[in-house]
Amino acid sequence: MTHRTLLIAFPKGRLGDELVPKLAGTPLALDAEALKSRVLRIPTATPSVAALLLKGADLPRYVAAGVAQLGIVGSDTLDEMDMDLLELADLGFGACRLSLCAQEGVTLEALRAKPHLRLATKFPKATESWLSREGLTAELVPLSSSAELAPLLGLADAIVDLVQTGGTLKAHGLVETFVLGRSSARLVAARGAYLSEPARIRPLADLLLGALKARA
Amino acid sequence: MPVRTPHFPDLLFGPAARLRKWEGALIGLFEAHGYRELHPSLVLRESLPDGALRFFDGDELVALRWDFTVALAGLLARGFPTPPARVAYAGAVFRRPVQPWEAVERFEVGCERIQPEGESSAEADLELARLLMAIPGVLGLKSAILHLGHAALVRRPLEAEGLFGDLADAVVAALSRRAPHRVKEALDGHPSAGRLTAHAEALLSELDGPTTLDALQASPYAELLRDERDHMDRALKALLPILPPNLELRVDLADVAGLGFYTGPTLRLWAPGAQQELAAGGRYDRLFPGLGRPWQAAGFCVRLSRLLDLAETRPDLFEQAQ
Repeated sequence: MTHRTLLIAFPKGRLGDELVPKLAGTPLALDAEALKSRVLRIPTATPSVAALLLKGADLPRYVAAGVAQLGIVGSDTLDEMDMDLLELADLGFGACRLSLCAQEGVTLEALRAKPHLRLATKFPKATESWLSREGLTAELVPLSSSAELAPLLGLADAIVDLVQTGGTLKAHGLVETFVLGRSSARLVAARGAYLSEPARIRPLADLLLGALKARA
Repeated sequence: MPVRTPHFPDLLFGPAARLRKWEGALIGLFEAHGYRELHPSLVLRESLPDGALRFFDGDELVALRWDFTVALAGLLARGFPTPPARVAYAGAVFRRPVQPWEAVERFEVGCERIQPEGESSAEADLELARLLMAIPGVLGLKSAILHLGHAALVRRPLEAEGLFGDLADAVVAALSRRAPHRVKEALDGHPSAGRLTAHAEALLSELDGPTTLDALQASPYAELLRDERDHMDRALKALLPILPPNLELRVDLADVAGLGFYTGPTLRLWAPGAQQELAAGGRYDRLFPGLGRPWQAAGFCVRLSRLLDLAETRPDLFEQAQ
Protein backbone atom coordinates (compact mmCIF):
# COMPACT_ATOMS: atom_id res chain seq x y z
CA MET A 1 0.00 0.00 0.00
CA THR A 2 1.31 3.46 -0.87
CA HIS A 3 0.24 6.94 0.15
CA ARG A 4 -1.52 7.11 -3.20
CA THR A 5 -3.89 4.19 -2.44
CA LEU A 6 -7.18 5.53 -1.16
CA LEU A 7 -8.88 3.51 1.55
CA ILE A 8 -12.59 3.44 2.33
CA ALA A 9 -13.66 1.88 5.63
CA PHE A 10 -16.80 -0.23 5.23
CA PRO A 11 -18.72 -1.63 8.19
CA LYS A 12 -19.11 -5.31 8.88
CA GLY A 13 -22.44 -6.62 10.14
CA ARG A 14 -25.92 -5.27 9.50
CA LEU A 15 -24.89 -2.09 7.66
CA GLY A 16 -22.25 -3.92 5.64
CA ASP A 17 -24.80 -6.55 4.61
CA GLU A 18 -26.94 -3.76 3.14
CA LEU A 19 -24.02 -1.88 1.63
CA VAL A 20 -22.10 -4.56 -0.28
CA PRO A 21 -24.96 -5.48 -2.68
CA LYS A 22 -25.56 -1.77 -3.36
CA LEU A 23 -22.00 -1.42 -4.63
CA ALA A 24 -22.11 -4.48 -6.91
CA GLY A 25 -21.57 -3.50 -10.54
CA THR A 26 -20.29 -0.01 -9.65
CA PRO A 27 -16.68 1.25 -9.84
CA LEU A 28 -16.44 0.60 -6.10
CA ALA A 29 -17.73 -2.99 -6.18
CA LEU A 30 -15.79 -5.16 -3.75
CA ASP A 31 -13.79 -8.06 -5.13
CA ALA A 32 -16.03 -11.12 -4.76
CA GLU A 33 -13.19 -13.61 -4.21
CA ALA A 34 -11.56 -11.48 -1.53
CA LEU A 35 -14.93 -11.09 0.19
CA LYS A 36 -15.21 -14.87 0.51
CA SER A 37 -11.81 -15.06 2.18
CA ARG A 38 -10.87 -13.87 5.66
CA VAL A 39 -8.97 -10.90 4.24
CA LEU A 40 -10.06 -7.56 5.70
CA ARG A 41 -8.48 -5.34 3.04
CA ILE A 42 -10.49 -5.85 -0.12
CA PRO A 43 -9.66 -4.58 -3.63
CA THR A 44 -12.40 -2.68 -5.43
CA ALA A 45 -13.17 -2.41 -9.14
CA THR A 46 -11.11 0.81 -9.13
CA PRO A 47 -7.43 -0.17 -8.79
CA SER A 48 -6.35 2.88 -6.76
CA VAL A 49 -9.10 2.35 -4.17
CA ALA A 50 -9.28 -0.43 -1.57
CA ALA A 51 -11.80 -1.16 1.15
CA LEU A 52 -11.20 -2.01 4.79
CA LEU A 53 -13.83 -4.13 6.51
CA LEU A 54 -14.12 -3.00 10.12
CA LYS A 55 -16.41 -3.36 13.09
CA GLY A 56 -18.63 -0.30 13.41
CA ALA A 57 -17.19 0.65 16.78
CA ASP A 58 -13.63 0.68 15.37
CA LEU A 59 -14.39 2.34 12.06
CA PRO A 60 -14.59 6.01 13.15
CA ARG A 61 -11.16 5.75 14.77
CA TYR A 62 -9.56 4.56 11.50
CA VAL A 63 -11.12 7.48 9.65
CA ALA A 64 -10.43 10.09 12.33
CA ALA A 65 -6.77 9.04 12.36
CA GLY A 66 -6.63 9.39 8.57
CA VAL A 67 -5.77 5.73 7.98
CA ALA A 68 -8.90 5.48 5.83
CA GLN A 69 -9.86 8.62 3.95
CA LEU A 70 -13.60 7.82 3.81
CA GLY A 71 -15.94 5.52 5.69
CA ILE A 72 -19.54 4.49 6.08
CA VAL A 73 -20.90 4.12 9.59
CA GLY A 74 -24.18 4.40 11.48
CA SER A 75 -24.99 7.77 13.02
CA ASP A 76 -25.64 5.97 16.33
CA THR A 77 -21.97 4.93 16.44
CA LEU A 78 -20.82 8.43 15.46
CA ASP A 79 -22.89 10.02 18.21
CA GLU A 80 -21.64 7.54 20.78
CA MET A 81 -17.96 7.99 19.92
CA ASP A 82 -17.84 11.69 19.08
CA MET A 83 -14.65 11.38 17.00
CA ASP A 84 -13.22 14.32 15.09
CA LEU A 85 -14.24 13.56 11.53
CA LEU A 86 -16.40 15.03 8.80
CA GLU A 87 -19.89 13.74 8.05
CA LEU A 88 -20.46 14.44 4.39
CA ALA A 89 -23.89 12.89 3.80
CA ASP A 90 -26.81 11.05 5.30
CA LEU A 91 -26.98 7.98 3.04
CA GLY A 92 -30.49 7.12 4.09
CA PHE A 93 -30.14 3.33 4.26
CA GLY A 94 -29.66 1.29 7.43
CA ALA A 95 -32.43 3.29 9.07
CA CYS A 96 -33.31 2.20 12.59
CA ARG A 97 -34.51 3.56 15.91
CA LEU A 98 -32.62 3.84 19.18
CA SER A 99 -35.30 2.75 21.62
CA LEU A 100 -36.00 2.01 25.23
CA CYS A 101 -37.30 -1.57 25.27
CA ALA A 102 -38.81 -3.55 28.11
CA GLN A 103 -40.79 -6.73 28.63
CA GLU A 104 -44.34 -6.62 27.32
CA GLY A 105 -46.65 -4.98 29.86
CA VAL A 106 -43.91 -2.80 31.42
CA THR A 107 -44.75 0.82 30.62
CA LEU A 108 -42.54 3.89 30.46
CA GLU A 109 -44.37 5.23 33.52
CA ALA A 110 -43.59 2.06 35.44
CA LEU A 111 -39.92 2.39 34.56
CA ARG A 112 -39.92 6.08 35.53
CA ALA A 113 -41.42 5.20 38.92
CA LYS A 114 -38.69 2.71 39.81
CA PRO A 115 -36.52 4.01 42.66
CA HIS A 116 -33.50 2.18 41.20
CA LEU A 117 -33.80 1.86 37.46
CA ARG A 118 -31.25 -0.32 35.71
CA LEU A 119 -30.75 0.04 31.96
CA ALA A 120 -28.52 -2.25 29.91
CA THR A 121 -27.10 -0.72 26.75
CA LYS A 122 -24.38 -0.53 24.15
CA PHE A 123 -25.11 3.20 23.92
CA PRO A 124 -24.26 4.75 27.30
CA LYS A 125 -23.73 8.25 25.96
CA ALA A 126 -27.07 8.48 24.16
CA THR A 127 -28.79 6.86 27.16
CA GLU A 128 -27.22 9.29 29.64
CA SER A 129 -28.20 12.19 27.42
CA TRP A 130 -31.83 11.00 27.31
CA LEU A 131 -31.91 10.39 31.07
CA SER A 132 -30.59 13.90 31.63
CA ARG A 133 -33.25 15.41 29.35
CA GLU A 134 -35.96 13.45 31.17
CA GLY A 135 -34.62 14.34 34.62
CA LEU A 136 -34.16 10.66 35.46
CA THR A 137 -31.30 8.77 37.05
CA ALA A 138 -30.45 5.14 36.37
CA GLU A 139 -27.73 2.58 36.80
CA LEU A 140 -26.27 1.84 33.38
CA VAL A 141 -25.22 -1.72 32.68
CA PRO A 142 -22.70 -1.59 29.80
CA LEU A 143 -23.02 -4.46 27.32
CA SER A 144 -21.43 -5.03 23.94
CA SER A 145 -23.89 -7.53 22.48
CA SER A 146 -27.12 -9.53 23.07
CA ALA A 147 -28.66 -6.78 25.20
CA GLU A 148 -32.10 -8.40 24.72
CA LEU A 149 -31.20 -11.05 27.29
CA ALA A 150 -30.65 -8.53 30.08
CA PRO A 151 -34.32 -7.88 31.06
CA LEU A 152 -35.20 -11.56 30.71
CA LEU A 153 -32.48 -12.69 33.10
CA GLY A 154 -32.82 -9.87 35.63
CA LEU A 155 -29.61 -8.05 34.70
CA ALA A 156 -31.58 -4.89 33.95
CA ASP A 157 -35.16 -3.53 34.00
CA ALA A 158 -34.98 -2.46 30.35
CA ILE A 159 -32.55 -1.92 27.51
CA VAL A 160 -31.66 0.92 25.17
CA ASP A 161 -30.82 -0.61 21.81
CA LEU A 162 -31.17 -0.25 18.05
CA VAL A 163 -34.42 -1.55 16.59
CA GLN A 164 -34.84 -2.07 12.86
CA THR A 165 -37.74 -4.46 12.29
CA GLY A 166 -38.47 -5.40 15.90
CA GLY A 167 -38.08 -9.10 15.12
CA THR A 168 -35.34 -9.75 17.69
CA LEU A 169 -37.28 -7.86 20.35
CA LYS A 170 -40.41 -9.87 19.65
CA ALA A 171 -38.48 -13.13 19.81
CA HIS A 172 -37.45 -12.18 23.36
CA GLY A 173 -40.84 -10.89 24.51
CA LEU A 174 -39.72 -7.25 24.49
CA VAL A 175 -41.47 -4.16 23.11
CA GLU A 176 -40.39 -0.59 22.37
CA THR A 177 -41.62 1.74 25.08
CA PHE A 178 -39.96 4.96 23.90
CA VAL A 179 -37.96 6.09 20.85
CA LEU A 180 -34.86 8.05 21.92
CA GLY A 181 -33.58 8.81 18.42
CA ARG A 182 -33.07 7.62 14.87
CA SER A 183 -30.01 6.36 13.08
CA SER A 184 -28.95 5.85 9.47
CA ALA A 185 -25.74 5.26 7.52
CA ARG A 186 -23.49 8.29 7.09
CA LEU A 187 -20.60 8.95 4.75
CA VAL A 188 -17.68 10.18 6.85
CA ALA A 189 -14.30 11.58 5.84
CA ALA A 190 -10.96 12.15 7.52
CA ARG A 191 -10.75 15.87 8.30
CA GLY A 192 -7.11 16.15 7.29
CA ALA A 193 -7.48 14.26 4.02
CA TYR A 194 -10.61 16.16 3.01
CA LEU A 195 -9.22 19.60 3.81
CA SER A 196 -5.66 19.08 2.60
CA GLU A 197 -6.34 16.99 -0.50
CA PRO A 198 -9.84 17.85 -1.71
CA ALA A 199 -8.88 17.14 -5.31
CA ARG A 200 -8.29 13.46 -4.37
CA ILE A 201 -10.97 12.93 -1.75
CA ARG A 202 -13.99 14.80 -3.09
CA PRO A 203 -14.11 12.89 -6.42
CA LEU A 204 -13.95 9.63 -4.46
CA ALA A 205 -16.78 10.78 -2.17
CA ASP A 206 -18.80 11.78 -5.25
CA LEU A 207 -18.06 8.39 -6.84
CA LEU A 208 -19.29 6.59 -3.74
CA LEU A 209 -22.39 8.76 -3.46
CA GLY A 210 -23.09 8.27 -7.15
CA ALA A 211 -22.72 4.49 -6.86
CA LEU A 212 -25.12 4.34 -3.92
CA LYS A 213 -27.59 6.73 -5.55
CA ALA A 214 -27.66 4.66 -8.73
CA ARG A 215 -28.69 1.62 -6.69
CA ALA A 216 -31.18 3.46 -4.48
CA MET B 1 -12.18 3.64 28.47
CA PRO B 2 -9.05 5.84 28.69
CA VAL B 3 -6.50 5.24 25.98
CA ARG B 4 -2.84 5.08 27.02
CA THR B 5 -0.38 6.45 24.49
CA PRO B 6 3.08 7.98 24.84
CA HIS B 7 1.72 11.36 25.86
CA PHE B 8 5.11 12.78 26.76
CA PRO B 9 7.26 11.66 23.83
CA ASP B 10 11.02 11.98 24.20
CA LEU B 11 12.79 13.52 21.21
CA LEU B 12 15.83 11.58 20.03
CA PHE B 13 18.70 13.07 18.02
CA GLY B 14 16.96 13.70 14.69
CA PRO B 15 13.73 15.27 15.98
CA ALA B 16 15.59 17.19 18.69
CA ALA B 17 17.88 18.74 16.08
CA ARG B 18 14.89 19.48 13.82
CA LEU B 19 13.04 21.18 16.68
CA ARG B 20 16.04 23.37 17.50
CA LYS B 21 16.54 24.27 13.83
CA TRP B 22 12.88 25.07 13.14
CA GLU B 23 12.44 27.10 16.34
CA GLY B 24 15.49 29.17 15.44
CA ALA B 25 14.45 29.66 11.81
CA LEU B 26 10.91 30.72 12.70
CA ILE B 27 11.93 33.08 15.50
CA GLY B 28 14.49 34.52 13.04
CA LEU B 29 11.71 35.08 10.49
CA PHE B 30 9.53 36.82 13.06
CA GLU B 31 12.40 39.00 14.30
CA ALA B 32 13.15 40.05 10.72
CA HIS B 33 9.58 41.39 10.58
CA GLY B 34 9.82 43.32 13.83
CA TYR B 35 8.45 40.72 16.26
CA ARG B 36 10.28 40.44 19.60
CA GLU B 37 10.25 37.30 21.68
CA LEU B 38 8.54 37.07 25.04
CA HIS B 39 8.75 33.99 27.20
CA PRO B 40 5.88 33.63 29.68
CA SER B 41 6.47 31.35 32.66
CA LEU B 42 5.92 27.62 32.29
CA VAL B 43 3.72 27.72 35.40
CA LEU B 44 0.40 29.56 35.30
CA ARG B 45 -1.43 30.57 38.45
CA GLU B 46 -4.66 31.83 36.93
CA SER B 47 -7.13 30.83 34.18
CA LEU B 48 -6.80 27.11 34.80
CA PRO B 49 -9.15 25.21 32.46
CA ASP B 50 -10.04 21.53 32.75
CA GLY B 51 -7.74 20.55 29.90
CA ALA B 52 -4.66 21.96 31.64
CA LEU B 53 -2.17 19.84 33.59
CA ARG B 54 -2.89 21.07 37.09
CA PHE B 55 -1.10 20.32 40.32
CA PHE B 56 -0.67 21.74 43.80
CA ASP B 57 2.27 23.98 44.60
CA GLY B 58 1.89 23.81 48.37
CA ASP B 59 -1.72 24.87 48.93
CA GLU B 60 -2.02 26.69 45.61
CA LEU B 61 -3.47 25.07 42.50
CA VAL B 62 -1.31 25.88 39.48
CA ALA B 63 -1.03 24.59 35.92
CA LEU B 64 1.65 24.06 33.33
CA ARG B 65 1.43 26.63 30.54
CA TRP B 66 -1.42 25.35 28.39
CA ASP B 67 -1.67 28.13 25.81
CA PHE B 68 0.82 30.79 24.79
CA THR B 69 -1.78 33.33 23.71
CA VAL B 70 -3.54 33.27 27.07
CA ALA B 71 -0.24 33.26 28.98
CA LEU B 72 1.06 36.20 26.93
CA ALA B 73 -2.19 38.11 27.29
CA GLY B 74 -1.95 37.87 31.08
CA LEU B 75 1.68 38.96 31.00
CA LEU B 76 0.99 41.92 28.67
CA ALA B 77 -2.17 43.08 30.44
CA ARG B 78 -0.38 43.04 33.82
CA GLY B 79 2.93 44.56 32.78
CA PHE B 80 2.42 46.88 29.82
CA PRO B 81 0.45 50.18 29.94
CA THR B 82 0.54 50.26 26.14
CA PRO B 83 0.89 47.07 24.12
CA PRO B 84 3.99 46.11 22.13
CA ALA B 85 2.78 45.92 18.54
CA ARG B 86 4.48 42.63 17.70
CA VAL B 87 5.48 39.72 19.92
CA ALA B 88 6.73 36.19 19.22
CA TYR B 89 7.08 33.09 21.37
CA ALA B 90 8.54 29.58 21.29
CA GLY B 91 8.36 26.67 23.69
CA ALA B 92 6.15 23.86 24.97
CA VAL B 93 2.53 23.89 26.06
CA PHE B 94 0.85 21.09 28.00
CA ARG B 95 -2.76 20.11 27.30
CA ARG B 96 -4.79 17.00 27.85
CA PRO B 97 -5.42 15.54 24.38
CA VAL B 98 -8.79 15.60 22.65
CA GLN B 99 -7.75 12.76 20.36
CA PRO B 100 -6.01 9.77 21.95
CA TRP B 101 -2.95 9.96 19.69
CA GLU B 102 -2.14 13.56 20.60
CA ALA B 103 0.74 14.26 22.94
CA VAL B 104 0.28 16.27 26.12
CA GLU B 105 3.52 18.17 25.63
CA ARG B 106 3.45 20.14 22.38
CA PHE B 107 6.07 22.42 20.90
CA GLU B 108 4.90 25.67 19.37
CA VAL B 109 6.28 28.82 17.79
CA GLY B 110 4.01 31.75 17.10
CA CYS B 111 3.51 35.46 16.79
CA GLU B 112 0.92 38.01 17.80
CA ARG B 113 0.02 41.43 16.43
CA ILE B 114 -1.52 43.71 19.07
CA GLN B 115 -3.15 47.07 18.42
CA PRO B 116 -4.64 49.83 20.51
CA GLU B 117 -8.40 50.30 20.34
CA GLY B 118 -9.66 51.93 17.16
CA GLU B 119 -6.69 51.08 14.92
CA SER B 120 -7.69 49.41 11.65
CA SER B 121 -7.19 45.68 11.83
CA ALA B 122 -7.23 44.96 8.09
CA GLU B 123 -3.54 45.67 7.50
CA ALA B 124 -2.52 43.67 10.58
CA ASP B 125 -4.55 40.69 9.30
CA LEU B 126 -2.80 40.90 5.94
CA GLU B 127 0.60 41.20 7.63
CA LEU B 128 -0.04 37.96 9.50
CA ALA B 129 -1.28 36.17 6.39
CA ARG B 130 1.84 37.25 4.48
CA LEU B 131 4.01 36.01 7.33
CA LEU B 132 2.24 32.66 7.45
CA MET B 133 2.69 32.35 3.68
CA ALA B 134 6.46 32.38 4.25
CA ILE B 135 6.38 29.53 6.80
CA PRO B 136 6.27 26.51 4.39
CA GLY B 137 9.42 27.77 2.68
CA VAL B 138 11.22 28.22 6.00
CA LEU B 139 10.27 24.68 7.06
CA GLY B 140 11.21 23.13 3.71
CA LEU B 141 7.71 21.90 2.87
CA LYS B 142 7.37 21.01 -0.79
CA SER B 143 3.84 22.38 -0.96
CA ALA B 144 1.19 23.73 1.36
CA ILE B 145 -2.34 25.07 1.44
CA LEU B 146 -3.42 28.20 3.26
CA HIS B 147 -7.09 28.31 4.24
CA LEU B 148 -8.71 31.67 4.86
CA GLY B 149 -11.86 31.73 6.95
CA HIS B 150 -13.86 34.20 9.03
CA ALA B 151 -15.38 33.43 12.41
CA ALA B 152 -18.14 36.02 11.96
CA LEU B 153 -19.65 34.09 9.04
CA VAL B 154 -21.15 31.71 11.58
CA ARG B 155 -21.14 33.80 14.73
CA ARG B 156 -23.16 36.75 13.38
CA PRO B 157 -26.11 34.75 11.93
CA LEU B 158 -26.34 32.78 15.21
CA GLU B 159 -26.40 36.02 17.21
CA ALA B 160 -28.91 37.58 14.80
CA GLU B 161 -31.24 34.62 15.39
CA GLY B 162 -30.77 34.85 19.17
CA LEU B 163 -29.23 31.39 19.21
CA PHE B 164 -26.89 30.80 22.14
CA GLY B 165 -25.93 27.94 24.48
CA ASP B 166 -26.50 24.27 23.66
CA LEU B 167 -28.45 24.89 20.46
CA ALA B 168 -25.78 27.20 19.04
CA ASP B 169 -23.12 24.65 20.08
CA ALA B 170 -25.02 21.92 18.21
CA VAL B 171 -25.11 24.05 15.03
CA VAL B 172 -21.39 24.79 15.32
CA ALA B 173 -20.61 21.09 15.92
CA ALA B 174 -22.63 20.18 12.82
CA LEU B 175 -20.75 22.76 10.73
CA SER B 176 -17.47 21.49 12.12
CA ARG B 177 -18.46 18.09 10.75
CA ARG B 178 -19.48 19.78 7.49
CA ALA B 179 -22.87 18.18 7.84
CA PRO B 180 -25.77 20.49 6.86
CA HIS B 181 -28.19 17.62 7.52
CA ARG B 182 -27.05 17.74 11.17
CA VAL B 183 -27.78 21.49 11.28
CA LYS B 184 -31.32 20.70 10.14
CA GLU B 185 -31.65 17.93 12.74
CA ALA B 186 -30.31 20.16 15.55
CA LEU B 187 -32.73 23.00 14.73
CA ASP B 188 -35.78 20.85 14.09
CA GLY B 189 -38.83 22.95 15.08
CA HIS B 190 -36.86 26.17 15.68
CA PRO B 191 -38.07 29.25 13.75
CA SER B 192 -34.58 29.82 12.29
CA ALA B 193 -34.17 26.22 11.07
CA GLY B 194 -34.80 26.94 7.38
CA ARG B 195 -32.60 30.03 7.25
CA LEU B 196 -29.67 28.55 9.17
CA THR B 197 -29.80 25.29 7.20
CA ALA B 198 -29.70 27.28 3.95
CA HIS B 199 -26.78 29.28 5.37
CA ALA B 200 -24.95 26.06 6.31
CA GLU B 201 -25.47 24.72 2.78
CA ALA B 202 -24.09 27.97 1.35
CA LEU B 203 -21.02 27.86 3.60
CA LEU B 204 -20.34 24.23 2.68
CA SER B 205 -21.09 24.48 -1.02
CA GLU B 206 -17.53 25.34 -2.08
CA LEU B 207 -14.13 24.74 -0.56
CA ASP B 208 -11.90 26.36 -3.14
CA GLY B 209 -11.87 28.19 -6.43
CA PRO B 210 -12.49 31.81 -7.36
CA THR B 211 -16.26 31.53 -6.92
CA THR B 212 -16.13 30.45 -3.29
CA LEU B 213 -17.07 33.85 -1.91
CA ASP B 214 -20.01 34.00 -4.35
CA ALA B 215 -21.50 31.07 -2.45
CA LEU B 216 -22.37 33.56 0.29
CA GLN B 217 -24.86 35.18 -2.07
CA ALA B 218 -27.07 32.12 -1.66
CA SER B 219 -27.21 32.64 2.09
CA PRO B 220 -30.22 34.32 3.72
CA TYR B 221 -27.64 36.34 5.68
CA ALA B 222 -25.77 37.65 2.61
CA GLU B 223 -26.59 41.26 3.46
CA LEU B 224 -25.71 40.84 7.15
CA LEU B 225 -22.31 39.45 6.15
CA ARG B 226 -21.47 42.01 3.47
CA ASP B 227 -18.57 43.56 5.46
CA GLU B 228 -17.00 40.16 6.15
CA ARG B 229 -17.34 39.18 2.49
CA ASP B 230 -15.70 42.44 1.39
CA HIS B 231 -12.90 41.94 3.93
CA MET B 232 -12.17 38.43 2.59
CA ASP B 233 -12.40 39.66 -0.99
CA ARG B 234 -9.84 42.40 -0.33
CA ALA B 235 -7.57 39.89 1.42
CA LEU B 236 -7.72 37.52 -1.56
CA LYS B 237 -6.94 40.34 -3.99
CA ALA B 238 -3.96 41.40 -1.87
CA LEU B 239 -2.57 37.90 -1.30
CA LEU B 240 -3.11 36.06 -4.58
CA PRO B 241 -0.58 38.14 -6.59
CA ILE B 242 2.19 37.49 -4.05
CA LEU B 243 1.48 33.82 -3.47
CA PRO B 244 4.78 31.88 -3.29
CA PRO B 245 5.23 28.93 -5.63
CA ASN B 246 3.85 25.67 -4.22
CA LEU B 247 1.46 27.47 -1.87
CA GLU B 248 -2.23 27.26 -2.63
CA LEU B 249 -4.72 29.74 -1.21
CA ARG B 250 -8.25 28.53 -0.47
CA VAL B 251 -11.28 30.06 1.16
CA ASP B 252 -12.94 27.92 3.81
CA LEU B 253 -16.27 29.56 4.63
CA ALA B 254 -17.21 26.88 7.15
CA ASP B 255 -14.14 27.12 9.37
CA VAL B 256 -15.61 27.04 12.87
CA ALA B 257 -12.63 25.69 14.84
CA GLY B 258 -12.08 27.92 17.87
CA LEU B 259 -15.28 29.86 17.22
CA GLY B 260 -15.63 30.67 20.90
CA PHE B 261 -12.28 32.47 20.74
CA TYR B 262 -11.89 33.93 17.26
CA THR B 263 -13.84 37.02 16.27
CA GLY B 264 -12.64 37.73 12.71
CA PRO B 265 -10.48 36.31 9.92
CA THR B 266 -8.90 32.89 10.53
CA LEU B 267 -5.85 31.25 8.97
CA ARG B 268 -4.94 27.56 8.76
CA LEU B 269 -1.94 25.98 7.10
CA TRP B 270 -2.05 22.43 5.76
CA ALA B 271 0.30 20.21 3.81
CA PRO B 272 -1.27 17.90 1.22
CA GLY B 273 -1.85 14.56 2.92
CA ALA B 274 -1.15 15.82 6.44
CA GLN B 275 -3.80 14.66 8.86
CA GLN B 276 -3.73 17.79 11.01
CA GLU B 277 -3.27 21.48 10.33
CA LEU B 278 0.32 22.61 10.81
CA ALA B 279 -0.38 26.19 11.83
CA ALA B 280 -3.51 28.05 12.84
CA GLY B 281 -4.59 31.44 14.04
CA GLY B 282 -6.82 34.40 13.53
CA ARG B 283 -8.25 37.54 15.08
CA TYR B 284 -9.42 37.43 18.70
CA ASP B 285 -10.56 40.89 19.68
CA ARG B 286 -12.34 39.87 22.88
CA LEU B 287 -9.32 38.55 24.78
CA PHE B 288 -7.68 41.77 25.98
CA PRO B 289 -10.93 43.65 26.76
CA GLY B 290 -11.75 40.68 29.01
CA LEU B 291 -8.53 41.45 30.89
CA GLY B 292 -9.36 45.14 31.21
CA ARG B 293 -7.30 46.35 28.24
CA PRO B 294 -9.00 47.92 25.18
CA TRP B 295 -6.63 46.26 22.73
CA GLN B 296 -7.27 44.23 19.60
CA ALA B 297 -5.15 41.24 18.68
CA ALA B 298 -4.52 38.55 16.10
CA GLY B 299 -1.85 35.92 15.73
CA PHE B 300 -0.98 32.41 14.68
CA CYS B 301 0.85 29.43 16.07
CA VAL B 302 3.01 26.92 14.20
CA ARG B 303 2.49 23.45 15.66
CA LEU B 304 6.01 22.09 15.64
CA SER B 305 5.09 18.77 17.28
CA ARG B 306 2.84 17.97 14.33
CA LEU B 307 5.60 18.97 11.93
CA LEU B 308 8.05 16.71 13.75
CA ASP B 309 5.59 13.83 13.38
CA LEU B 310 5.09 14.67 9.73
CA ALA B 311 8.84 14.69 9.08
CA GLU B 312 9.01 11.15 10.50
CA THR B 313 5.93 9.71 8.79
CA ARG B 314 5.89 11.65 5.51
CA PRO B 315 9.47 12.75 4.71
CA ASP B 316 8.37 12.90 1.05
CA LEU B 317 6.47 16.11 1.87
CA PHE B 318 9.74 17.96 2.60
CA GLU B 319 12.30 19.32 0.16
CA GLN B 320 15.18 17.31 1.56
CA ALA B 321 15.68 14.54 4.09
CA GLN B 322 14.81 16.18 7.40
